[in-house]
Amino acid sequence: MSAVSVMEKPATPAQEQPFGETVYHLQKGDQGIALDIKDFNLWYGDRQALHGVNLTVERGLVTALIGPSGCGKSTLLRSLNRMNDLVDGLSITGKVVLDQVDIYDPRTDVIALRKRMGMVFQKPNPFPMSIYENVIYPLRVDGVRDKRLLDETVERALKGSALWDEVKDRLDQSALGMSGGQQQRLCIARAIVGDPEVLLMDEPCSALDPIATAKVEELIDELGGHYTIVIVTHNMQQAARVSHNTAFMYLGRLIEYGKTETMFTTPKLGRTLDYVTGRFG
Amino acid sequence: MSSLQDTVNPQDASSYDSAAGVHRREAVVYPAARGEPKLWSLGGTLAFGVLMITGFLILVLWNGIATFWPKPIAVVTLADGKIVAGEQTREELFKPTADQLAKLTPQLRAVIAKDDGYATRRLYRTGNFDFYGDDSKWVADYDVAKVDYPRDMVLAERREWGPFVGRLKAVVLDGVERPVTDPSEGWVRDALGQAQARLAQIRKLERDEIGGINHKLEQERLALRRVLLKSGADSAAYGEAQAKFAAREAELKKQYEALSAEAQALKGRNERDRIILTEVGGAEKSLPLSVIVRAYDANDIGLGAKLAVYGSRWAEFLTDEPREANTEGGVMPAIFGTFAMTVLLSLIVAPFGVLTALYLREYAKQGRIVAFVRISVNNLAGVPSIVYGVFGLGFFAYILGGSIDRLFFPEYLPNPTFGTGGLLWAALTLAIMTVPVVIVATEEALAAVPRSMREGSLACGASKWQTIRMIVLPRAMPGIMTGLILAMARGAGEVAPLMLVGVVKLAPELPIDGYFPFVHLERSFMHLGFHIFDVGFQSRNSEAGKPMVFVTTLLLIALIAIMNATAITIRNRLKKKFAGSQF
Ligand SMILES: Nc1ncnc2c1ncn2[C@@H]1O[C@H](COP(=O)(O)OP(=O)(O)OP(=O)(O)O)[C@@H](O)[C@H]1O
Ligand SMILES: [Mg+2]
Repeated sequence: MSAVSVMEKPATPAQEQPFGETVYHLQKGDQGIALDIKDFNLWYGDRQALHGVNLTVERGLVTALIGPSGCGKSTLLRSLNRMNDLVDGLSITGKVVLDQVDIYDPRTDVIALRKRMGMVFQKPNPFPMSIYENVIYPLRVDGVRDKRLLDETVERALKGSALWDEVKDRLDQSALGMSGGQQQRLCIARAIVGDPEVLLMDEPCSALDPIATAKVEELIDELGGHYTIVIVTHNMQQAARVSHNTAFMYLGRLIEYGKTETMFTTPKLGRTLDYVTGRFG
Repeated sequence: MSSLQDTVNPQDASSYDSAAGVHRREAVVYPAARGEPKLWSLGGTLAFGVLMITGFLILVLWNGIATFWPKPIAVVTLADGKIVAGEQTREELFKPTADQLAKLTPQLRAVIAKDDGYATRRLYRTGNFDFYGDDSKWVADYDVAKVDYPRDMVLAERREWGPFVGRLKAVVLDGVERPVTDPSEGWVRDALGQAQARLAQIRKLERDEIGGINHKLEQERLALRRVLLKSGADSAAYGEAQAKFAAREAELKKQYEALSAEAQALKGRNERDRIILTEVGGAEKSLPLSVIVRAYDANDIGLGAKLAVYGSRWAEFLTDEPREANTEGGVMPAIFGTFAMTVLLSLIVAPFGVLTALYLREYAKQGRIVAFVRISVNNLAGVPSIVYGVFGLGFFAYILGGSIDRLFFPEYLPNPTFGTGGLLWAALTLAIMTVPVVIVATEEALAAVPRSMREGSLACGASKWQTIRMIVLPRAMPGIMTGLILAMARGAGEVAPLMLVGVVKLAPELPIDGYFPFVHLERSFMHLGFHIFDVGFQSRNSEAGKPMVFVTTLLLIALIAIMNATAITIRNRLKKKFAGSQF
């Protein structure tokens, strides 16, 4: 946190008119930009779900996406690793740039792209196999056979997701026999086992109890310095606790994007204030 | 309930309402809204179905189990002095004709008239087909003077002419006639055992060794023909091959002579040991001992001996080949054929159905064409199975098999190899017939794999195929197995199409034997389903075949049940692996 400088874009006066310009006052990391989303529009069939989103994700920081239900948070998140490709009738305009390359360029290798990004879903989705096999799934996909390497990786990933002590004696048992919180941490282990640059999390704690939530939050904190994390959450306290920058979305638009502290105390727009204080949403 | 109603007087209640000025809407309760009146009909239908199936199973089970149990032999003396001996198999009520009634005494006629013109008659399995020209005889109760169960009655099962019912007179060993009446006496059993052992040896000689020589000879002949077809009759190669063939042939002929002399000697020995039986009418029959399969004194054996007979009949049934136009002996080739065909069918239908469903569900662009294909596939399940038989014969056997023969087996022509019905074509035909079941089940199973799991896999950087192979297919496996089980059950019980594409009444050779290439998929085979049809309704005397129908049905049901149980066990194991608590 110490190496973070604060940059404020010239503040536009808060307009409560339909939708004004997005207001930016994000903090910059010292490692540059991880993802640059430029003029991104997205349609499901002929319904537009994202309207001209411009957003940069700072490398090494945790970015939270908040906003009322149905505002397009998941859609935006899933656009980042092209999970939306599975949806029929999807169309987009604009760019998402990762390392100078537009991920929507037809020449982009989607599989290689997804390997650079881990993803954790709202509901834990362990595969119907052993805990061990679940964790090393991304490596299996890559055809890694070296048993020693796999063992080490499993241990590292499970320690990284604070699960090692709980499951080290039953790695060969089915992952489906774990509790929901354990399953979610297993999914986090699976997401970080390939050492991705970016970790995408879509409401990772929505199915968890407070204790498991605390564990996952702790984990996000620990992972924070190492990975670039984009997290969708409905939990304002959580966003405030774990993130450096927060983006507030409303009806498919990015309304305000800035430093988390500011967003939750003195946001530039009234609409944001209303939302974070719970006056609407 | 009634006491409660008594306390509330409806008259009071209404007067109270009107007094308070409350206007209550008259509650009309439709009969359909009260209780579940249709439940009775639904439950009744189910009960009816269950009852029919249970009844059918009990009928098959009871008759199948009882068939081989040794029954006592009744000796029935008729009013006119004739004697009938045999096992009673059935009894029923019948209406004697006017002719028959005319011959009866007035008292008897009165008794029958009192029973509305009905009388009882019993069916006796008399055996001795060679004497009577029939296996069984109906005897009306009013004709019977007396029924005895003499202790010396013997039932001897023979390899020819069916069972013999009568008395044992003597056994001739090495030309010495030794009188005996009890077939369970030690030395008689020993002699019988020896005769049967010699018979087995003769069989072995004829089938395995001489058969082997014939096989070699045939191979040589085919090799010669191949050279002829390849190089022509005038070529040097053909001359050479001819010379070689002649030498080989002479050598094999010599081996053949030696073996057949050996077999002949054994046969002569078996001709000398004889058994002499007398029929109830007094006629005598001398038979080689080796013709007897088993003989027992039916009215004089204890429970242990009965159990032994019962067990040995089952053993023979399960492990032997049929004889006497399939009405006796065993059904081992049919069991084997049914099993082999079902396994082959599953091996074909599983990949075929699963791949089709995978393409339809996962890769094909969902649209009109796919919808049309799907409807067509579903409709395929409704085509009568005999149509598949015709298709299998026409396409697989004649077109496909014919081409294979011309390309790979020209030396066998004009005898077809693959160009006629056989195990492979039968399995393929049934596979086409049952593949819709597998496709539909697999599609459903694939659709039921949660989207979150696919997304999880894709997000890990897995390709679509990797996701399908490592996540989707294993997860869908129990559902796929269900489809496969249904397909198997349908295929194993199907008979009609098989009659066209490879099932025969009697197949001399099993599809698997000791000759290269060991598995002969082109061979025709026997099938339990067809066996039931053949034994029960196509044989010379259906009365003799009837018990076999029940036993074979029992066996077929048991075989299908065992195969299904195995598949279901595997499926449940898979299910347990993939179904865990989510939270
Ligand atoms: N596969 C889809 N096909 C069509 N419309 C979709 C699809 N997924 C989402 N949408 C629509 O896009 C809009 C944004 O949905 P999205 O899931 O991104 O919302 P969200 O902000 O994640 O909401 P929540 O907080 O409830 O998860 C919604 O109006 C939704 O109905
Ligand atoms: Mg969402």
